[in-house]
Amino acid sequence: MTKNIVEVDNLVKSYNGIPAVNGVNFAIRQGEIFGLLGPNGAGKTTIISMLTCLLMPTSGKVSIAGHDVANQAKTVKGSIGLVPQDLAVYPQLSARDNLLFFGRIYGLKGQQLRQRVNDLLQMAGLNERANDLVNNFSGGMKRRVNIAAGLLHQPQVLFLDEPTVGVDPQSRNFIFDNIERLNQQGMTILYTTHYMEEAERLCHRVAIIDRGQIIALDTPKALIDSLGGSIIRLGLPETTKQTFIAQLKKLPAVKNISRQDNALLVQTHHSQEALVQIIQLLNTAKTTITTLEILEPNLESVFLHLTGRRLRD
Amino acid sequence: MLRHIIAITWKDLKILARNRAALAVLFAMPVGFVLVMTTALGGLFGGGKSAIPVLVVNEDKGYLSTQIIEGLKAAEGFKVETEWEGQSLTTAKAEELIISRKRQLAVILPADFSQNILGSASPSQNLQPQATTIQLMVDPALSPQFTGPIVGTLQGLLLQALTPVGIERLLDQTAPGMSQQQRQAIVEQARQGMLSGTSIEQITPPGMSVRQLPNTTQQNVPSYTLFGVFFICQVIGLSFIREKQDGTFRRLLVAPLSKSALLIGKLLPYYLVNLIQIVLIFAAGIWIVPLLGNPALNLGVHPEGLIVVSLATAAAASGLGLLVAALAKTPEATGGVGALIAVMMAAIGGCFVPAFVMPNFMQTLSKIVPHAWALQGYQDVLVRGYSLGQVMPEVGVLLIFAAVFFGFALWRFRFD
Repeated sequence: MTKNIVEVDNLVKSYNGIPAVNGVNFAIRQGEIFGLLGPNGAGKTTIISMLTCLLMPTSGKVSIAGHDVANQAKTVKGSIGLVPQDLAVYPQLSARDNLLFFGRIYGLKGQQLRQRVNDLLQMAGLNERANDLVNNFSGGMKRRVNIAAGLLHQPQVLFLDEPTVGVDPQSRNFIFDNIERLNQQGMTILYTTHYMEEAERLCHRVAIIDRGQIIALDTPKALIDSLGGSIIRLGLPETTKQTFIAQLKKLPAVKNISRQDNALLVQTHHSQEALVQIIQLLNTAKTTITTLEILEPNLESVFLHLTGRRLRD
Repeated sequence: MLRHIIAITWKDLKILARNRAALAVLFAMPVGFVLVMTTALGGLFGGGKSAIPVLVVNEDKGYLSTQIIEGLKAAEGFKVETEWEGQSLTTAKAEELIISRKRQLAVILPADFSQNILGSASPSQNLQPQATTIQLMVDPALSPQFTGPIVGTLQGLLLQALTPVGIERLLDQTAPGMSQQQRQAIVEQARQGMLSGTSIEQITPPGMSVRQLPNTTQQNVPSYTLFGVFFICQVIGLSFIREKQDGTFRRLLVAPLSKSALLIGKLLPYYLVNLIQIVLIFAAGIWIVPLLGNPALNLGVHPEGLIVVSLATAAAASGLGLLVAALAKTPEATGGVGALIAVMMAAIGGCFVPAFVMPNFMQTLSKIVPHAWALQGYQDVLVRGYSLGQVMPEVGVLLIFAAVFFGFALWRFRFD
């Protein structure tokens, strides 16, 4: 059985008594790509900040590679790498100079440093622009330098905090390929995102986080399968009678119903059958709807089902 | 398009209204500058309430010395002091006050001053005029632009006292029965004798040896060097704030790097930049200033003192930079507060106007900024010819400034 390299136990971070992270528990296995999926402001960056020794938890415990983050910060820092959400590189320096600087910060020197920088420039596809100022790079190129700067010391655990924000599709695929390659080489990765497609593509397991709490944690497939079928979103006028909603619940193809503002989220066993039954019921009950939307089963619909809100609301 | 422009303008006005630092730069700084400079220069230009303090030691107590003191008191731009703490001033006391830098100018009217000059004008005593000298005791760091007016005023007062009208008035008092013919002969004889035999000699208190007379270069090079050196606080502050905003500071905090190493690594380059700044500005004083027709900067006989003063000054400037970085939260605030501090401290510390021409309260106030101590340290070496050991008090105070700035900055600095 693969051992846990990151263990998070009842982690809490409060500001003036208001919890930003509220009792989070999870463990990441060695060699795993673990996703933290949630909307902006859900608490993902706060969790990463606590896991990377940047922020002291209000309570709870975190250990990385067997070392307690609070008491053995220096050891922990040597084994982790952070690729922050910001483009945390120096725009006034060239790509090579940036990597040389961060390499030196992590204790690399001489031939080892130069070789490592060359390897990472190659990996990031920036060999030809290595000596250009980062300020003159495109957004995608800057992101690649940002990622490379977190890899210089070959960390055991890499924290990637929304690394594709503002990136063009070509650079995004480039970044995905590199993350998968690093993982194949044995690196454990914690990946935060609010793009469900990214979590589905990259992550072995995903924790869905909302308002500082983990509301689901499993493999993407298991989370999606838990929905059963698609979700049908029905926009209803305010005059809709409760009797209609009660009849809707009794339809054979309908698994569950939840309310979202002026809409109903209808969780189905089978979307096509449910759709036919719903339309028949609408005709019979002479009820009108304002919108009808079929949401294919994915992590977005899982989040919608769990919270009643969309990831990008 | 116009709607967009109006919307953006309104939005930026609202942001500016909430940015206290920017408002301070835009409004408080110019107002503060006007107040400080106007007050400080009042004495120099003679139009304000303040005046240059001039000690007058009257060892004569005669008619002519009394006339000259009254004339000095009536002249604009001088504040005449003939007593110190209730006691009549003596030459020794004046020396002590100048050496301790409480005052920078003293006029010494020697014993028998009146008698020596007016001897021929007093038939009862039947004395011939004798050469006599008024001594002007000055701090050697005092620029000629300030000694010039006092010398000119003294000469004017002497001439005024020695006009025919002035002498006849004197004869009315000392020899009222003299014939008109006798009076005319005596008046002419006295004028010639008095004017040719009276001189004003500039001296320096013992121990304040003049290696060279201060000139515009020696006044301005250290002053504006300090002005530039302390502007580093703005640059340091902006460096920290940009690093935090770009996220690179966060990245550095995740690295296995101690916070002290991070701070020292961030400050050291600016400390070195300060030292390079000082070397370059002093070099310009030595080699470029003469090309413009001004005297070259002379480093004095103990230039090693300049090195120690410079090291301590740069430490204080770096500490101030970290303090700005700790207190300001945005680049706008950092730029504004940094510039405000640099300019106001330079003004208060005597970089733009020598502290001694400022009113007493401002001279006292100048001691609360490192500029005043650094400037004093530089002038001790450049002008007063002081040695390394003699500038240690100023160096010590500068290091205390550095320690206070660093201490307060570290207390307020946020690493997250």
